[in-house]
Amino acid sequence: MSALATDTAGTAPREEARRGLLERLGDRLNPLVVKEVRQGLRSRVFWVSFGLMLLSCFILSMVAYVSTREGALSTKGQGFFFGFYVCLAMVHFFIIPYSAYRSLAREREDETWVLLILTGLGPRRILRGKVASFLVQAALYASAVGPFLLFSYYLNGIDLPTILLVLVLGASWLFFLTVVAVCAATLADGRIGRALVHLVLLGSLGMAVMYGLIAAFFLSEQGYRSVSREEGFLIATGACLWAMLSYGWLLFETAAARLSLATENYTWGPRLALTLQLVLTGVLLLGLWLWDAPPAGAASGASVLGCLHLAITGIFVATDVDGQARALRAHTRPWSLLRPGAVRGFRLVVVLMLGWTGLCLGFLSMSAGGRGSDMAHLLGVLAAPAYTLFYLSLPLVVGRLPQSDRLASPAVMRVLFFSLSGLAGALLPLLAVLFDQRVDDPLFNLLNPFVGMGNFNDYNHSLDEPKMNLGLLACVWLVAVLTAFAADRALVERERRAHAAS
Amino acid sequence: MSLLEVKGLRRDYGALRAVDDVSFELEAGTILGFIGPNGAGKSTTMRILATLDTPNAGQVMLDGHSLVDTPDKVRPLIGYMPDRYGTYDDVTVFEFLDFFARAYGLHGRERARRVASVMEFTGLVPLQEKLTSALSKGMKQRVALGRTLLHEPKLLILDEPADGLDPRARIELRELLRALADQGKAVLISSHILTELAEICDTCAIIEQGRLLATGRVADILAQATGTAVAELLVRLFPGEEGEAVWARAERLLLEQPRVKQVAREGDALRVRLEHEGGAAGQWVDESAARVLAALVGAGVPVCAFSHRERNLEDAFMHVTKGRVA
Repeated sequence: MSALATDTAGTAPREEARRGLLERLGDRLNPLVVKEVRQGLRSRVFWVSFGLMLLSCFILSMVAYVSTREGALSTKGQGFFFGFYVCLAMVHFFIIPYSAYRSLAREREDETWVLLILTGLGPRRILRGKVASFLVQAALYASAVGPFLLFSYYLNGIDLPTILLVLVLGASWLFFLTVVAVCAATLADGRIGRALVHLVLLGSLGMAVMYGLIAAFFLSEQGYRSVSREEGFLIATGACLWAMLSYGWLLFETAAARLSLATENYTWGPRLALTLQLVLTGVLLLGLWLWDAPPAGAASGASVLGCLHLAITGIFVATDVDGQARALRAHTRPWSLLRPGAVRGFRLVVVLMLGWTGLCLGFLSMSAGGRGSDMAHLLGVLAAPAYTLFYLSLPLVVGRLPQSDRLASPAVMRVLFFSLSGLAGALLPLLAVLFDQRVDDPLFNLLNPFVGMGNFNDYNHSLDEPKMNLGLLACVWLVAVLTAFAADRALVERERRAHAAS
Repeated sequence: MSLLEVKGLRRDYGALRAVDDVSFELEAGTILGFIGPNGAGKSTTMRILATLDTPNAGQVMLDGHSLVDTPDKVRPLIGYMPDRYGTYDDVTVFEFLDFFARAYGLHGRERARRVASVMEFTGLVPLQEKLTSALSKGMKQRVALGRTLLHEPKLLILDEPADGLDPRARIELRELLRALADQGKAVLISSHILTELAEICDTCAIIEQGRLLATGRVADILAQATGTAVAELLVRLFPGEEGEAVWARAERLLLEQPRVKQVAREGDALRVRLEHEGGAAGQWVDESAARVLAALVGAGVPVCAFSHRERNLEDAFMHVTKGRVA
């Protein structure tokens, strides 16, 4: 009796200490994770998906058992692995991202996200909590399918590194899709917008399942040893992973900014993400150039791709609201380009674009060259930022230069950006044809962002000279700089007016 | 010093001025009713006060901190309950409150203590294991109120909290709010149900087309609006065998009293309208009522019931507003 009492007395403080430790660990967890996992595990979607997935895996394993019972040396592992993976992929690439999207969309529809923000959690923690909680649920699904995947290894025909490679790449695809889905939930405010985003997301997730399965099939069929020997595969995989990581981060920060209040420094995250994405991509490319100097054409390709990326992200950055909340103004300096306001967004994009062009010029000088076509590549590297600057500034001038606010809303200006670029791309060649000129006439297409860019990159081998020259490039740059200047002045004036009014 | 000071608040949405030069003060331990027609700017003002929106002009000070310049500092002092309660499906009452307590950064024993105390105050202890989706509207509203109290805010902002509640739930809400005010919290509450507000609120603010038309006690608002304070007495008589003569005598006698402007027969009672020039509300109603009653009894008029009624919030609201929306 006394021994028992002593034992109990000894274990009680230990139990208490363990509970205290668990409690402290629980306190450190993001509250959203605790809540979402509780909610998720009670939901019908979870139990139905979990049950169906297990049932499918069980049936498949029975089929595998029956079909391999007779043959002593079976090599059906690869086929059954893919079968099990299909069951997991349906959940990982569709149900989990879709549930994550619905979860945040409902928070916004029911306005509970406002309550969350008022608690001081902050948009980033809310989004991190959402993503993490659905990844925890994904891990639960994966843990149930894990034994079946291992079972496929014992059926022969697939090796463990291949299984691990497919699972790791699948996990990164799941992570990316979940981030994208959560961010998609922040995109639209109105009912029609939400319905549109919903439909687009459903379609995109359907495609994502297909891509995921095709990649998994390819990898499991080729095997780890085969694909790891191919340099191209490694570079492509690295590029895909980097794109998923950096765009995932950019989208995440954009979503956090959309959930932030106007009184917060909401642009800091997305603008920093965009800057770092470009800087780190530049560093990676520099490494690639130092490792194996690609041809000069790669430099103009990098310039075109970088500027295209900056033009599309830039139109979202540069169409921020005019001015910023009073609380933020005191600490804003002329170089505070990460702070809210359209003018600072526009300037940041211009600075990034100039930096990227400088880097591409560096790449060009490092590339194996010495041929006449190098001049065309130089023109190509320099033409891309000129077109980007012009087509980024033009909608800002059209929308925000007039006193009227009719065209000044961000949505209208984004539509203007795509419409003006599209119209220029389509109408200028038509105009050339109307005046009995070639469809890709250099002068008529001087401001055409597509044909013009192509012309600057073109090299006339019969004449052994570039199709365009520095004079024409200077013209494009002059128009671009003047438009950018007008856009900048318009944004400065609107910010001044906005600040004066509040 | 007032807990909340709002000065010259203005909010524009493009060409629309939703809130225009709104100023008022709110002291700790008082309940202010925010009244106005739909689209008057109530919710916009409340969202600004809850730091969910930023004004184009004006200043709001809460407990000495600027709500416009340092929203992060004042947020812990505010408990905001929007017109939609904002509860989650598939979580129990306890889990819901526990989640928000975690979100407010409460840890360990402190969190458990706060959740338990809030559940006790709002009467949710017997329902703590129930899913919030299974609760009635009144209970959901209690859960939402409990959520706003978890971090012990000094100012409660409640947007249409009584909307859609049954009479019992309304009475219970009224009692809870009164108890909160007694604890020293300032409560800002908006509602369309004016009789409800009149019973809960110490003061009220009437807003229309984004402009604050009047603030203060209901009687003061009426007095501000008309320049004259008004009250009504209801005198029930038992004429017995004398019949009509008693009514006539009573009417004549009443009209001779100071401040009595009008006497009207209403069933078996007389409705007496009192007016006090100068507009200031005070003890004049009680004083006049005492004098009228003494005169009637002294003259041998058989009074069997006597009551007085001050003009209510509906009167004030109808008098001050003109039914325009911004």
